[in-house]
Amino acid sequence: MEIYVLVKQVPDPEAIVKVKSDSELEIENKYFTNFFDEIAVEAGLKLKEKFGGKVTVLTLDHRRVDALRRGISMGADEAVQITDPALEGSDPFAVARTLSAYLQNKPFDLIFTGRQAMDDDAGIVGPAVAECLGIPHIHSIIGLEVDAQKKEARVVREVENGKEVLICPLPALFTCQKGLHSPRIPLVMNVMKAMKAQIKKVDLASLGLSPTEVGAQASTIKIQKYLPPPKRPPVKIIKEDFPENVKTLIKLLREEAKVI
Amino acid sequence: MPNGIWVLVEHQDGKVKKISLELLSAGIEFSKKTGQEVGAVLLGSGLEEAVNSLTPYADKIYWINDTLFIPYTSEAYLAGIVPLVKEHQPSILLGGATSTGKDLFPRLAMHLQTGYVPDCTGLSIEENGKLTALRPLFGGKVFAEVGFSEVRPQMATVRNNVFLIKEHPDRSAQIISITPSMDSSLLKKKVVGFEKAEGTKLDITEADIVVAAGRGIKAPEHFKLIEDLADVLNASVGTTRATVDEGWRDLKDQIGKSGKNISAKLYMAFGISGAIHHVLGIGTCKTVVAVDTDPNALIFNYADYGIVGDLFQIVPALTEELKKVLAADR
Repeated sequence: MEIYVLVKQVPDPEAIVKVKSDSELEIENKYFTNFFDEIAVEAGLKLKEKFGGKVTVLTLDHRRVDALRRGISMGADEAVQITDPALEGSDPFAVARTLSAYLQNKPFDLIFTGRQAMDDDAGIVGPAVAECLGIPHIHSIIGLEVDAQKKEARVVREVENGKEVLICPLPALFTCQKGLHSPRIPLVMNVMKAMKAQIKKVDLASLGLSPTEVGAQASTIKIQKYLPPPKRPPVKIIKEDFPENVKTLIKLLREEAKVI
Repeated sequence: MPNGIWVLVEHQDGKVKKISLELLSAGIEFSKKTGQEVGAVLLGSGLEEAVNSLTPYADKIYWINDTLFIPYTSEAYLAGIVPLVKEHQPSILLGGATSTGKDLFPRLAMHLQTGYVPDCTGLSIEENGKLTALRPLFGGKVFAEVGFSEVRPQMATVRNNVFLIKEHPDRSAQIISITPSMDSSLLKKKVVGFEKAEGTKLDITEADIVVAAGRGIKAPEHFKLIEDLADVLNASVGTTRATVDEGWRDLKDQIGKSGKNISAKLYMAFGISGAIHHVLGIGTCKTVVAVDTDPNALIFNYADYGIVGDLFQIVPALTEELKKVLAADR
């Protein structure tokens, strides 16, 4: 089974992120592999263990490859970095076109990625890659069984009022949600090995893309301004004793906040 | 010239979802500024009641009538919507930041070669019809105003409770019924089963009121206290990562970075310390109440009202008192 996993390195959830100016953020240099992408790597590895084959981790990032090394240390066979200065400023659609340009002539049965990256929280790239490649996708899966002979997958997807079960022919792309798997913790030895693992670098020219097809000028959405989160007024601590404090809370919710 | 503010209407059991009415109401406000038509698009068969209920919320209702659209799959929806969008060229296409919206919109936008801004907490429009979307990044540590290039339609998905529902009884939308020519052999995915969530409560992303407890509740069986309170308020019950990882509660009710972002009108947190993972998920709730025994708990930094106290004392009293107060209203 040939499996690709699209991974991204993102600031740690604890990292400090602040608005520096209208057009710039200050991001603490504390990166890790996107949590949902680790689940996606795990999904790939589980299938490889069952059916054999190969798991390749793929990222599009001009500077960092942390997620590729994480993928290798978990057990992925190959790592590919798409890197080109022209990719700077690409929106998720330009990213998806570029990833698809790499994937389109490769033989694959499944592509996995996280349900969203914990930086822009957009969740666009996965379904957009599936569209570019003309394969079905299912977003936010929490269950997966693959029938390698029939070349189809039975997938559980989270929806608002329950869980939906779908049958989907392969090849397909699935975005992974917490609950699908717990990503394995790599052995220290494998982490060391992954530091030295070879990473295949791919540039735009080798994908047959011109710089004008990616980057900010080819993007359909653009961040115009960064803003700090809306400030909440300071908390009102209700200092009365029990049970008066409960009565006061209800009064405030009804008369001041007007929410009940 | 692209024209029209369209909303993809979601429905369940033949009824229109609240988020769709919120977006149509916003669309009508926008149309007052731009003079554009408001269009509601819905797909599925047996939707007479849903279609009729939409007439005070739009100028045109495009009802794409085929059994293949229920239950939702991205392939069927794409096949149904794309020809309609190409024919009428709306300037804007909005949807809910729901399981359907998040599955469909990125793919639809790629297909139409247009722009899409996901999971918005605000939208504004200029007289020339240019849309600006407001959305959180990094789980809400910062926000961004996002605009579109010259491409149309400008697509966005929006969270629940961002806009208020406003009916316009003077409006009576024209219903345009469309029978699509669908080739079912092209639809590869099939929904073969559905496991309905227990109980009748709305998903925490859809509920107006969410009450939640974290590790401070000490044992899974104590969630009964929170559920009783939820029943009185017609609220849904949320929780934190810690209790989900303990196996006390279902993942679908987890609020925060690896769970769900909620935007309830009222959120009440009991015995929740306020770890960054959690509070990132409640950033767009309107009113937040926190109850915790630790006066230094971080959750108080994110709350509007706080009580330093024991949830085992406060919650049952709150439930009883609310029963009395709300009964007096009736």
